[in-house]
Amino acid sequence: MSSHDALDILRRDPRAEWIARNRLHPLHGAVVDNDMAEQRGPSGLLRKNPHRIGFIGPNGIKRIDRLKGNAAASVKGRRSGAAQAVQLPLHRVENPDFYIAVVADMVGGRLTSHDKDVLGQAHKLVAAMAGEGAVLTVCFGASKEAHFDTAGVDRLLLLDDEIYDDYCPEQQLAALQQVEAEYQPQYWLFPDSVNGGTDLGSRLAARLHQRPAVQAWQVDHQTTVCRGAGGTVDITRETPRVLMLAEECADQIDASRHEALSVTLTALPTVIAQLQNQGPVAVDPNAVALAEAEFILSAGNGIHDWEQFHTAAAVLGATEGASRVAVDDGFMPRFRQVGATGTWVTARVYLAVGISGAIQHMQGIGQCDKVIAINTDAGCDMVKRASLSAIGDSEAILGELIKRVQAYRAQLSVAGDQDAA
Amino acid sequence: MIFEWLNPLLIATALLLAVIGAVRRVKLWRAGQPDQVDLIAGLMAMPGRYLHDLHDIVERDKYMSKTHAATGGGFVLSALLIMLVHLLGIDSQLLAWALLASLTLMFVGALFVFKRRLNPPSRLSKGPWMRLPKSLLAFAGGFFVLTLPAAGMLSDGFMAQAGGALLTLLLTALIIWGMGELFFGMTWGGPMKHAFAGALHLAFHRRSERFGGGRSTGLKPVDLTLATEVGVLGVAKPTDFKWNQLLGFDACVQCGKCEAVCPAFAAGQPLNPKKLIQDMVVGLAGGSDAKYAGSPYPGKTVGEAQGGPNQIITDGLLAPETLWSCTTCRACVEECPMMIEHVDAIVDMRRFLTMEKGSTPNKGAEVLDNIIATDNPNGYAPASRTHWAADQNLPLMKEVGEAEVLFWVSDGAFDMRSQRILRAFVKLLKAAKVDFAVLGDEELDSGDVARRLGDDATFQNLAKRNLAVLSQYKFSTIVTTDPHAFHCLRNEYNDFGSDALEGVEVLHHTTFLNSLMQQGRLQLDPFVGGKVTYHDPCYLGRYNGEYEAPRELLRSMGIEIAEMERSGYRSRCCGGGGGAPITDIPGERRIADMRMDDANETGAELIAVGCQQCTAMLEGVVEPRPQVKDIAEILVDQLVDSSAHVLAQEVH
Amino acid sequence: MQPNSSQSHNLNIATLVSVGKHPQSGRVRRADQDSRAVELGLRLTADNPAGLTVLHAGDPAEPSLRSYAGMGLAAIKVLQLDPAADAVAPLGEQLQQCGADIVLTGVRAESGEGSGMLPYQLAEKLGWPIVPRVADIVAVQEGVAEVLQALPRGQRRAIKVRLPFIASIDTAAPAARQSAFGPAQRAEMRVSVIPAETDTVRQSWDEAVAKKRPKRLKVIKAKTAAERFKAATAKSQSEGGRIMKQEAVDEQAQAILDLLIEEGVLR
Repeated sequence: MSSHDALDILRRDPRAEWIARNRLHPLHGAVVDNDMAEQRGPSGLLRKNPHRIGFIGPNGIKRIDRLKGNAAASVKGRRSGAAQAVQLPLHRVENPDFYIAVVADMVGGRLTSHDKDVLGQAHKLVAAMAGEGAVLTVCFGASKEAHFDTAGVDRLLLLDDEIYDDYCPEQQLAALQQVEAEYQPQYWLFPDSVNGGTDLGSRLAARLHQRPAVQAWQVDHQTTVCRGAGGTVDITRETPRVLMLAEECADQIDASRHEALSVTLTALPTVIAQLQNQGPVAVDPNAVALAEAEFILSAGNGIHDWEQFHTAAAVLGATEGASRVAVDDGFMPRFRQVGATGTWVTARVYLAVGISGAIQHMQGIGQCDKVIAINTDAGCDMVKRASLSAIGDSEAILGELIKRVQAYRAQLSVAGDQDAA
Repeated sequence: MIFEWLNPLLIATALLLAVIGAVRRVKLWRAGQPDQVDLIAGLMAMPGRYLHDLHDIVERDKYMSKTHAATGGGFVLSALLIMLVHLLGIDSQLLAWALLASLTLMFVGALFVFKRRLNPPSRLSKGPWMRLPKSLLAFAGGFFVLTLPAAGMLSDGFMAQAGGALLTLLLTALIIWGMGELFFGMTWGGPMKHAFAGALHLAFHRRSERFGGGRSTGLKPVDLTLATEVGVLGVAKPTDFKWNQLLGFDACVQCGKCEAVCPAFAAGQPLNPKKLIQDMVVGLAGGSDAKYAGSPYPGKTVGEAQGGPNQIITDGLLAPETLWSCTTCRACVEECPMMIEHVDAIVDMRRFLTMEKGSTPNKGAEVLDNIIATDNPNGYAPASRTHWAADQNLPLMKEVGEAEVLFWVSDGAFDMRSQRILRAFVKLLKAAKVDFAVLGDEELDSGDVARRLGDDATFQNLAKRNLAVLSQYKFSTIVTTDPHAFHCLRNEYNDFGSDALEGVEVLHHTTFLNSLMQQGRLQLDPFVGGKVTYHDPCYLGRYNGEYEAPRELLRSMGIEIAEMERSGYRSRCCGGGGGAPITDIPGERRIADMRMDDANETGAELIAVGCQQCTAMLEGVVEPRPQVKDIAEILVDQLVDSSAHVLAQEVH
Repeated sequence: MQPNSSQSHNLNIATLVSVGKHPQSGRVRRADQDSRAVELGLRLTADNPAGLTVLHAGDPAEPSLRSYAGMGLAAIKVLQLDPAADAVAPLGEQLQQCGADIVLTGVRAESGEGSGMLPYQLAEKLGWPIVPRVADIVAVQEGVAEVLQALPRGQRRAIKVRLPFIASIDTAAPAARQSAFGPAQRAEMRVSVIPAETDTVRQSWDEAVAKKRPKRLKVIKAKTAAERFKAATAKSQSEGGRIMKQEAVDEQAQAILDLLIEEGVLR
């Protein structure tokens, strides 16, 4: 029995309900989720906060509880009925008049958010054009995607032969040419991304002698606005046949289901590849340039056990950074220095250990999304900036974190093995 | 005397050899580039320069100044009289007595030199310099005895009786030794070379403005057309220096005063100004540094450097790190009794490394690229220069066209810490009701960093564009909180044929605020708090001679300044000048830490500073340390809010 | 890593450079990727400086060309074209003529259209393979080059490709050396005036300064009043950080781990 089923059983706690009804019970406050709708003001007057009154009922409608919270206990254990899965309406295209081809990046075998943006754009184009069109999605390599339907895929051409498993842009291009021959898509849409979309789109455009729009971000069937000159210029032009779309070019599909009917090609061409893929090269996270690193573990004056710090960086798979002081003291090389006088970083997650946050340092991490601070001083600037701060001995916290990350990874690999089996 | 004829012959030979050596030496200097110097006027002015300017610097060390006056004065007088008495044979008791007196003076001086050399401090070079006091004694002693008969003290016969040939031989040996060192050695590269080269160096100094109490600190611009005409910018080989710079290097007495004050040397970075100058001497004469007997560049061994007049300096004679360690703080120049220009030489060589080889180290290249592309060293959008003042409602020159004071904001506008200083200063300006305006986005980097990093092309470009902007507006004073920009505007922008700054007074904010205080335009509460010390920024103090205004300002708040041991013209650099934080040459210590130690010794709780770069460097020292505040920030905290004051009066 | 010198001394490399544009100031400069391409070209021809040809199609008086030259180039070959002309055809001819083994370009130009199509069009025209987003060319041996391709987040893929080929150079390639003023002034601009067809397609385009694109907001498509209410009253994610002061070390570590997992940076 899964844990999910267990939640369906409504369990009542008569004692809690009784305490909740009894406003004079010493535990009343603990049981009743008193939102402080009523509070004694400083002068002793009872103050009501109208915004705090009421709660959301099981069907999502706000209810004002005239029993002053006494009924709350009975509501608590009940599961919200609103959580039922909604069956979205199915969008059918029986006999498409035309196709719009979307070539998805499929990073890790799944549609990326960028792919879904492009699919959204494809449907926008379909809707604007006369006749019934279908979005033909071309995916290379093995797929783990389970939700082609809700992403907006009408027709799915899944090319998962072995030859497509590796990096093979020339082979992929040949397949796209075959698609061109068989389906003559009105438009070819590619995500303009480093995950292959740009390369494949450029190859196809060159082969088809088309002038593609790149970094296109506002597209309809007549005009396209795309970025040029390194993103500093907006070019407004007639919409070409091949488009490489910027992220968030259009809203993703979220209100309909699609057929995701599998289609195949009548012939699968094979080409002799001129590029021989020799496979990925192992890259040490520390070899990644600080400015482009996604996850940085940064050390400051508060680090005493440098061995442990380096271990932590290795275990977390983080790129090492350092404050100016740590560099000046010779514990870290100069190119690791983060800050206005060092490197300006763009990491999504910046884990600062023992860095109190000099102003130059804070300037350098201005673009970081999430900052986590481990520090002994709760009043320091880094803690003020951080989304999450752990106050305490950095050695102990890092040590514990290393242990937990190792355990987490071990668990992941076990789960992965089971998946494979 | 047995060999009557011998002594004049010896003297004549020594003098002849000295002249040959001198011609040879002059040829070495003449291999340098031509420079506009008034030779006659220089020679005429030389004694005055020696007696005043040079002596003033030597006078800082009373022991040495007296010793040198006795030894040097005695020697010059003796040499002249020796020529009269012994070479020309003028038989005059008076002259002989005078010679005896001057030799005695020299002898006494030499004794003190000898005493100093018994246990010499590490900054002094050893080697042949240890021999010098003995040579001086030999010269003075030898000629003293030789002169006794001429003075009528002894008869010739006595000499013959007393020692005969042996005494004569001994005396001759002493004289040969003495003259070998003092006449022959003077022009053939011995320690006494300093007298010959030094005298001419004073006469033909490249910055004659420095004499007579003047100041000349602005770097000389590079003629950029040389890039295509000659094919080299800056100094690649010793012969690329101006001839009088080469002469200046030869004047070095290896006293090591520069070494003692150099912040980079103290921090263990591979720079020693004395060794640098000696290496230049090796370069101009050719050979190796094996004979150098002073402190090496920290972390480097002596004896491996090789050079020649036409050899690239950074290929074997000098490591580029040595040049990039300098903070251009001018402490060495300030301290040099020979008034040698170390900083000029270093920047000249940096110019070659940057503008010809493209090898500015570490972040240097990036910073220069940023300055070229965005007019600020960190590559911020030029249009964001006034963002710091979004809430300040500052009058823009573009809009007002004319103001009494132009506030030059400098690149501190982009740095969050420096912005606090700028805001404080603006508040003070407003409180004193000063009619001021800023250039806003029209202002560009002053070019200071580019120039110190050797990129004079970029500096000149910025200077010309800044001057073009300035020439559009009317103002009588420029005030800036950045001593580096202050120095550029005041001393270095005059070389570009613009009249934008003609009749304009360029002031540092401390000078300007001090004058406001004296006019009674600022009302300040007395400062309460702990001990305060003041750190002299190099570009304000040594570069521009402003030591008093900041101190007066502090005193006006009732602050008694706890002076650091090194303050005023001897102030130690914070380590932030000359692009040193950008080129970042590793040492054993950080200069800022050493400066903070200086401050800690005074027990101060607050360090008053007049420079954003110093503020950044000193605040970069790990806590606990005294607070660091710009003087404008200290003033603003004590500012009496005049509107509140009026209000209070009305109530009463 | 430097390529084996014995193999590379007769390597012919052509680097195509364009006019760059600084992202902050919009001022012309050497383009970042193109200058990295020049850098790679210089490294590959370190033993044989004559093997590197730097080509530009456009105006020979363009000041940014000087900053490429300042990297130590004796000359830059400029195909003087009308500013509105299409550069692909003349460049293709030029490359065939000079017998280049490797053609290096940037991924996308910083000025003009900046579509990044030029290397692809040249490859199509010449029939050569193209390797996009190259971080380094490790070795060239017996007519085969070993190339490192830049992948997202600093990862690399090794690719072998037979000469001649075209490579577009990524920003992950080694940084360009400093451009020095002196050599920049002395470099020769070898100009050849080339007649070329006018790029007529582009003439119909409108170009304007890029507008800032708004970040996509989470639009709540509420079907019922209750959903609308929920969306309106939902607490926005609090900006103030969470500070864990009293918690035990293991709790703190767990919270950090949770955040790392949530952000998806643990791989």
